[in-house]
Amino acid sequence: MNAMAKRIHEADVLVIGGGATGSGVMRDLALRGITCLLIDRKDLNAGASGGNHGLLHSGGRYAAADAETAAECMREGEILKRLAPECIDDCGGVFVAVEGDDVDFAARFPEHCRVAGIPCEPLTAAEAREREPALPEGIIAAYAVPDATIDPFRVVLENVGHAERQNDSRYLPHTEVEAFEIVDGTVISAQCRDRRSGDPIEIRARQFINASGAWAEKVARLAGCKDVSLLYSKGTLLISNTRVTNGVVNRLRLPDDGDILVPGGTVSLLGTSSVTVEDPDGVAPTIPEVDRILAEGAAMLPVLNETRFVRAFSGVRPLLKSAGSEADGRKANRGFALFDHEDQGLTNFATVAGGKFTTFRLMAEKAGDLVAQRLGNAEPCKTNVEPLPSGDALRWTEPGAAARDWFKRSDPTDMILCECEMVARSAVDTILQDAPGAEDHMSLKAIALRSRIGKGACQGAFCSMRVTSYLYDRGVYDSPDGLRLMREFVQERYKGVRPVLWGAQMPQAELAEILHCGLAGMDLAADEDGGTGK
Amino acid sequence: MKRGTRRIETQLAVIGTGIAGFAASIFALQRGLDVAQFGHSGAMAYTTGYLDLLGVHDQRVRTDPWAALDDLRRDEPHHPMSGLGNQTIRTAFDGFTDALGEMGIGYTRAGERNLSGLLPNGIAKPTLSVPDTMLAGITALETGARTLVIDFDGLQGFSAKAFEVNFAERWPALRSARLTFPGMENRQVFPEVLARSLETRATQDALAEAIRPLLNGAEYVGLPAILGMHAPDAVLARMQEAIGVKLFEIPTIPPAVPGIRLRECFERAFPEMGAKLEPQLKVANVEFGVSGATLYLHGPMEDLQVEASAVLLATGRFLSGGLRSDQHRLSETLLDLPIRQPEGRQEWFRREYLDPRGHPVNRLGVEVDSTFRPIGPDGDPVHEKLFAAGAILAHQDWARQRCGAGLAIATAYSATEAATAALG
Amino acid sequence: MGAHSRENTLDFLQVAKDLLPSGASYDACVGCGICASGCPASGLFGMDPRRFINMAMLGMNEELSTTPWVWACTQCKRCAYLCPMGIDVSLLVGAARGAWPTEDKPSGIVRSCAAQRLDESTSAMGLMSEDFVEIVEETVEELKENDSRFADLKVPIDKKGAKFVINQNSREPATEPEEMAPLWKILDYVGADWTYASKGWAAENFCMFTGDLDAWKDMVETRVNAINALECETWINTECGHSFFTLWAGIEKFGLEANFEAESLVTYYAQWIREGKLPVNSDWNKGNLKFTVQDPCQLVRKSIGDQAADDLRFVVKTLVGEENFIDMQPCRSANYCCGGGGGFLQAGMSKERRAYGKRKFDQIIATEADYVLTPCHNCHSQIDDVGEHFGGAYTVTHLWTLICLSLGILGPDERKYLGPDLADINLPEGT
Repeated sequence: MNAMAKRIHEADVLVIGGGATGSGVMRDLALRGITCLLIDRKDLNAGASGGNHGLLHSGGRYAAADAETAAECMREGEILKRLAPECIDDCGGVFVAVEGDDVDFAARFPEHCRVAGIPCEPLTAAEAREREPALPEGIIAAYAVPDATIDPFRVVLENVGHAERQNDSRYLPHTEVEAFEIVDGTVISAQCRDRRSGDPIEIRARQFINASGAWAEKVARLAGCKDVSLLYSKGTLLISNTRVTNGVVNRLRLPDDGDILVPGGTVSLLGTSSVTVEDPDGVAPTIPEVDRILAEGAAMLPVLNETRFVRAFSGVRPLLKSAGSEADGRKANRGFALFDHEDQGLTNFATVAGGKFTTFRLMAEKAGDLVAQRLGNAEPCKTNVEPLPSGDALRWTEPGAAARDWFKRSDPTDMILCECEMVARSAVDTILQDAPGAEDHMSLKAIALRSRIGKGACQGAFCSMRVTSYLYDRGVYDSPDGLRLMREFVQERYKGVRPVLWGAQMPQAELAEILHCGLAGMDLAADEDGGTGK
Repeated sequence: MKRGTRRIETQLAVIGTGIAGFAASIFALQRGLDVAQFGHSGAMAYTTGYLDLLGVHDQRVRTDPWAALDDLRRDEPHHPMSGLGNQTIRTAFDGFTDALGEMGIGYTRAGERNLSGLLPNGIAKPTLSVPDTMLAGITALETGARTLVIDFDGLQGFSAKAFEVNFAERWPALRSARLTFPGMENRQVFPEVLARSLETRATQDALAEAIRPLLNGAEYVGLPAILGMHAPDAVLARMQEAIGVKLFEIPTIPPAVPGIRLRECFERAFPEMGAKLEPQLKVANVEFGVSGATLYLHGPMEDLQVEASAVLLATGRFLSGGLRSDQHRLSETLLDLPIRQPEGRQEWFRREYLDPRGHPVNRLGVEVDSTFRPIGPDGDPVHEKLFAAGAILAHQDWARQRCGAGLAIATAYSATEAATAALG
Repeated sequence: MGAHSRENTLDFLQVAKDLLPSGASYDACVGCGICASGCPASGLFGMDPRRFINMAMLGMNEELSTTPWVWACTQCKRCAYLCPMGIDVSLLVGAARGAWPTEDKPSGIVRSCAAQRLDESTSAMGLMSEDFVEIVEETVEELKENDSRFADLKVPIDKKGAKFVINQNSREPATEPEEMAPLWKILDYVGADWTYASKGWAAENFCMFTGDLDAWKDMVETRVNAINALECETWINTECGHSFFTLWAGIEKFGLEANFEAESLVTYYAQWIREGKLPVNSDWNKGNLKFTVQDPCQLVRKSIGDQAADDLRFVVKTLVGEENFIDMQPCRSANYCCGGGGGFLQAGMSKERRAYGKRKFDQIIATEADYVLTPCHNCHSQIDDVGEHFGGAYTVTHLWTLICLSLGILGPDERKYLGPDLADINLPEGT
């Protein structure tokens, strides 16, 4: 390949950032008839959109501190439940206070909810335990709220998939902006690089939207804009091997570590911590964080002490800076802002930042309104009325979906590649064919992002090898690079496994290492790569 | 309705049914001891079939395992193999492979240099002794011979294509093909099922017939490890004759044949060799008395109580149940033997999975004196007639060092030697 | 068999929590697949033991509650035997069976269980107590008339205080009464003080196979009461597998009181041979016919363990000659279920049952044996059936047939389970 050959793409709008907001903007604009190119320096949901609970907030969590955000969550949550039901488990939630928690805070909770417009039903301790048998004795207050859970990966895949079906809108993974070409206050192009091949890419567009989440301040600065100022709040979460509760369980107190347990289909997610960090890159869960979250969580749900955890992960919340927020990310504004950057001297560049996963649609709508107006497009936003469709290649992130599909079709020749989550060849085939990014070189990691591969108890120990074999069989891999990608995948998985390595996870980890070193020689190959595979 | 408790006596009770446990029983029998062995399925099931002595030292692949052992003694004096001489280790190793050969699974004897054992991804690993069914592959790779590697429809995780692609640069005369295994159309197949089927002549003939038209001048044919379960050498010979080329096996991802083969081989041969073997029962409890130990086991219908003059612990690590951990510390499962360890689990694993230094947790385990008796915090043996061998021992990282079999066999050899001496 | 409704859907994770010990439950699974690889039911209906666990983890309770696979799993416990964590999927399968609506369960199993509950005889073939007694008495009379050497043979029924009480598979009294005679002759030969029980005599328990715990308990209780009443030292289970497991495990599971020991006939064959009471040898096997033996899962892996396998081999080797005995591989506690157990034979799923039995067939063919000895009726029927289906040239026979053959007391009409090669060997004088 000629490294000097610069690839050039053109679109009406370049959207930077393949998370919920960016993909939401892409879909919003596509529904207005505007063609977008969506890029991400990694792949979809690489930032906070993939590093969260998957909690579709009723707003109860913010009712005491930030009524406006709480109300926004409530409204947006209802819209998503109506328009994207396949991405949502409307399981409900409870807020519970246990012995030692602040009685007065608990007593004020219904009033806070009322102000924010959140339905809140008081429960007796017995009623709470009937809903959630895992709750302990000694609950001092409990309320039911309309919390739900959402599959952040499915939402983002569906956003992109829907946009791509509207017009020529496209998604390019592994594409990082390095500079903007700006002439007289107008951004002409984004100078990008393919992070895998190192090739330069130029993207020309009429409008540029920076929706890069925790990286929005950095991207804005590339365009010379100094008005975006973010606080990086690292949150760590634990994933259990099975679903612990029926619905969302929140600790009824001011937000702190380990006080939300959210079902994620067949698993549960416990979190979260909030630690301010300097840099959104390179965050990983630590053992002290995990221990603290678990200790706090077990105070609310003692069963967590006997629960097998398979993984921990961290995300970085991009929070808008406000007074007092430097010290405590939880006090920062959970709202969002749209920067038109006109006071920075730019006419066709905007940044949408802050906010929450629950409010991504609204953020996209506001950004879409601005871009449409700038392009002279009079079409209104449709994401508040148009249901999010379900694409065949996009439904594999739902826990159990691949398993049920495989079981129902009962095709004995359709081999299962990931046994824990029962993901079969057929599911991998549809992803290779039709999922966003499919036209690109699809690696094990990319397939795993678009499915449940690597997410079960073995955390990729077996399926990494089986899927890699299959990708060689299919000719997707045709060089030793496939083995390097496999090593990268298991190393990435390991970062999340390491902090939860004890108990039942120890035999699993030992088996993984026996396979990866003894049978796949990954440690020796990594050594040849140059040390740790970095 | 249980039948009450059955009581047996033995000189040496071997706890654990991995390579170390089976090697210990073999050596103990050879030393004339009365042996009883107990345990349950464990990590042996996951072996490639290769027997490593020492393939990696100082983070480098070593071609001469004996020289590597010399370096090991210098660099890692606490490594369980460091206290043993090369001659002892060689005697143990050959004793074990010879015994395996007599039981029906031929292995190459320990040579001067490590062999390049083929792995399914199309790479090789340093190992000392390989099953006869895998030997031709090593020659084929060394000579770059015209070779055909075959995989099968419905077999998970083994890709002849991947093998070919990754070896391509080093082995240009390698080709791959896919077949439907005779009688296994349109279904998932486990290597174990293919191996068992290949024990019948009808399947041998049908498979040979399917392979012959694909040869196209190939001198060697490689297959996933499926050449029979309990008589692999006979299956190999017959298939080679039927196809007319040299055949070899390549290890596969578990559930794989080589581990099952070893386990069934031991389970078949041990009763004939005079060892009492209970491969189904985990020891629940051990109590030490004046003259030895009492082991308690719970079978489905009856309990078993074993009076043993000496005990050899070869219970492996986490996967085999010899060690366990909670959120804060590791412990030895059966006797709560002391495990010297850092405070908290922060130090157990390194930040990078494939860090060439390996994870410190792998080097934690049971510490022993020079006669393989577990020692307490004071450095004295926990019991005069308690010995330990294999992966449960501290100061080794067998998976990274490619020394799993060597460790198991050599320490079992020396531990049984010490046990024999202690028993007078 | 049809899919059934949600109300019969179990929460399998809860079932696992209730039935499996901590450390050997679904949460301990490392996903290695050794269980699936070693299970002959793997692949049937798309299922295998690992998948059962994973589907429970994935909340696929409806699928698990309705998959007919639970009737193809014979609950042989080979998965638990192989699993490094000891996870016993067969217990979950039992619970799944129990939750099926009776009308959807395989009718053959349900009918047999219903027949067993008709009266206290507990016969799956619906043979009432008085009929059993009558058939035994008639058969004894015929035997005495036909063979003068057994003119004094006694077949006691309900003899209180006998040393042994022995059960009887219904197949013989119901369809081939003359096949009871070899066992009687052996018991007579060794001078055993034994009796049948007119109640609870039958050696089958389809109620256990239905997954209906109440029915299982009911069946065991009837038998235990009958045996208790006879005040015999030892209950000997005849050449049958599950009737042994069902009784001792049922007594354990349901906390019943028993005043007797439970033993297998195989154990006593071995003991009597060692004691010289049963002077069998292999002199009759002049043609060096080769024999292999099936270790019944219910007797070996699920009950007594390798001790029973050792006894079985001792008996067989003595009978056929050490050099004429070839073990199947794997064997003993690691043996494969033949596919006749767990009610599979009566479940009406011949295609799946034979696919399951193919592995057993291959094992047998690999031994190149002429005869397969099966100290279990279900093994006998299944191995015979797959032999016929896949074109095997072996003959399946009981131990008692060979024992009597060796002793020269096997009558001409007791040879239906011998091949033509043995039809005329060692015929008793004067017959």
